[in-house]
Amino acid sequence: MLDRIILGDNQFFGINHMSEEKGRSLSIRFKDTEAIIKVIDIAHACGVRAFMLNTHDRVATICDHFRACPSRYADLRVYPSMPYAHKYANSVHEKGLVGALNAFVFSGRSVGEVVGTVIRGGMSVINKDMIEVMKLLVDAEMRMFRGLHVPAMFLQNIVTDLLLGFGARDVFVAFADHVRKTYGAEPAFNTMNMPALVDFLLESGIENPIVCSSINKTGFLMTPSRQAYERTLTRRSFRPMAMSILASGAISPREAVEYVCGLPHVESIVFGASSREHIAETVKMICSCWSIEAGAAQLAEVS
Amino acid sequence: MLRGGIVGFGRMGFTHFSLLNSHPGVDLAAVCDSSDFVLKNAARHMGVEPFKRFDKMIETTDLDFVIVATPTAMHAEVAECAIAHDAHIFVEKPLTLNPERSQRLLDLLRGKDLVHQVGYAMRFHDLFARAKSLLDSGVLGPLVTFKVEMNGPVVLHDARRSWRSKKTAGGGCLYDFASHSVDLVSYLVGPPDEVLGTVFSHIHSEGVEDALSSTFVYEGGTRGNLLANWSDRSFRKPSCRFEALGRQGRVIADFYTLKVFFNEAPELAGYTEGWNEEYLATVAAPVRFYVRGFQFTRQLDYFIECIQSRQACEACSFEDGLCTDVIMHRIRTDADRRRLHARQDNTRRQPVLRH
Repeated sequence: MLDRIILGDNQFFGINHMSEEKGRSLSIRFKDTEAIIKVIDIAHACGVRAFMLNTHDRVATICDHFRACPSRYADLRVYPSMPYAHKYANSVHEKGLVGALNAFVFSGRSVGEVVGTVIRGGMSVINKDMIEVMKLLVDAEMRMFRGLHVPAMFLQNIVTDLLLGFGARDVFVAFADHVRKTYGAEPAFNTMNMPALVDFLLESGIENPIVCSSINKTGFLMTPSRQAYERTLTRRSFRPMAMSILASGAISPREAVEYVCGLPHVESIVFGASSREHIAETVKMICSCWSIEAGAAQLAEVS
Repeated sequence: MLRGGIVGFGRMGFTHFSLLNSHPGVDLAAVCDSSDFVLKNAARHMGVEPFKRFDKMIETTDLDFVIVATPTAMHAEVAECAIAHDAHIFVEKPLTLNPERSQRLLDLLRGKDLVHQVGYAMRFHDLFARAKSLLDSGVLGPLVTFKVEMNGPVVLHDARRSWRSKKTAGGGCLYDFASHSVDLVSYLVGPPDEVLGTVFSHIHSEGVEDALSSTFVYEGGTRGNLLANWSDRSFRKPSCRFEALGRQGRVIADFYTLKVFFNEAPELAGYTEGWNEEYLATVAAPVRFYVRGFQFTRQLDYFIECIQSRQACEACSFEDGLCTDVIMHRIRTDADRRRLHARQDNTRRQPVLRH
């Protein structure tokens, strides 16, 4: 089952595609993790049961909070998106590629895990294949979500799109297999190049993939064009999720929701909001357009 | 189909590979890097021929073009080799660490029908390009002052292992980070007549500067300030902001927003008196494939288009790269001169200080 309404977390980490100043005010507002949890609780009260969380260091604290209150969050579902690219980019800058990969693969591991990894190929990623490294990194990122209900795991868009450009078919297939076998979750992909990615995944034998991409009336971050997205939505068999539906505020919420809900086959909407009013309004509009009820009834059957 | 090769397979090498490999008119045939891990995986998962030595790659692979994304100190020798083998060439920023070396590359290119481009991607950013059109149109009037600020959380510890912490390799905030903002000054305002008051600061690094400030003076009276800091944790990711005050108005541009103020209604369609705002979200034209930002696709597609149509690159050629190298050389010389004076002053003051 895939949630139809998901709250994204960009706003919590100062990400705003409209203005750097707006991004900075969000960083100030969500400086304390309690402020983030407060918004999550508001969304929960509005009937949102699903949250897409990037593997930002602060998400680990949010997950600790979820685990500490099992009864309050019993029906909560988390959709991790990995990796949070900037922490890797900065580390690569300081340590070089292999040094950064080593740091992420080996940090936070127990002695037993490190010994196991060493036996399988030495104390460095340098002797390993990229696919093996990818699995180790996924495992490292997933540690913060232990014990939580994870229906699907997303590859973050910069990594997805780099690998798509590389044409690294076997890495996508290995990611999908690893997610299914190790975590019993659905593999999913964030992208800025939805039509190209969907074709590539289907050609690679990844059937009916979950693909999350910007879908909005202005065509913002829809590569190569809004028309190409609309064609792919009509002609290809996949599970589309829409994000950036407001095009960073360029479209009014009503217009945005009506456009996305009017498209064929869109299964879910990931939206970012941080006030009670905006969350309640967006949930109400989506529920009304899709004729669904907020809360437990908002799940789409995974076909 | 154009055959290409990439030398240097780090962060920018990855991005260029992804963008060019998805280009319908390009066949990426070879990759060169010093890392066995990178080469092994590039060959296995991306189907390219791996090389440890760039000269061997260029000599044996029959390439139409070469992308150079190595540490800056290697740019010149790789570019020289590519030019000697008549390959079109794209070099990551900055062009080289020495204006004389950059000039030599231009000398080698003379008489050859080769496209040459430097990776100053901000010239291909929609909002900075709009700022350029506004400034060139003269609607803001003669410039009085400008400032360019570039900040980011790039070096947050002393990263001794990285080439970026080695001055001889091209590391340091000026060459590896602020070169983008220096080029932005060259692109938007032009090269200054004087570079004054440069100060380099160390925050985490010992061998290189982590922050700098400098003043640019122009004969017409315009004055500009450059501020850069790659160890600023208060920024989520690298940020660049350009602001200029003209006699008729003000322009402020960053990666997401362009704000323009006109004292009076300008003779320019779409703009009115007072503040005008434009957002990347509403003005960015789509690209064919997107990785990390529109500007990265646009600059490489422009490079390929220049090769295909046999046109010279006018948007960001080696001449432009040389111009920026000269400004950076003057900034560094000014900082060195200032440090020398400070040291001499200290020596002179010492006996006095003992009293």
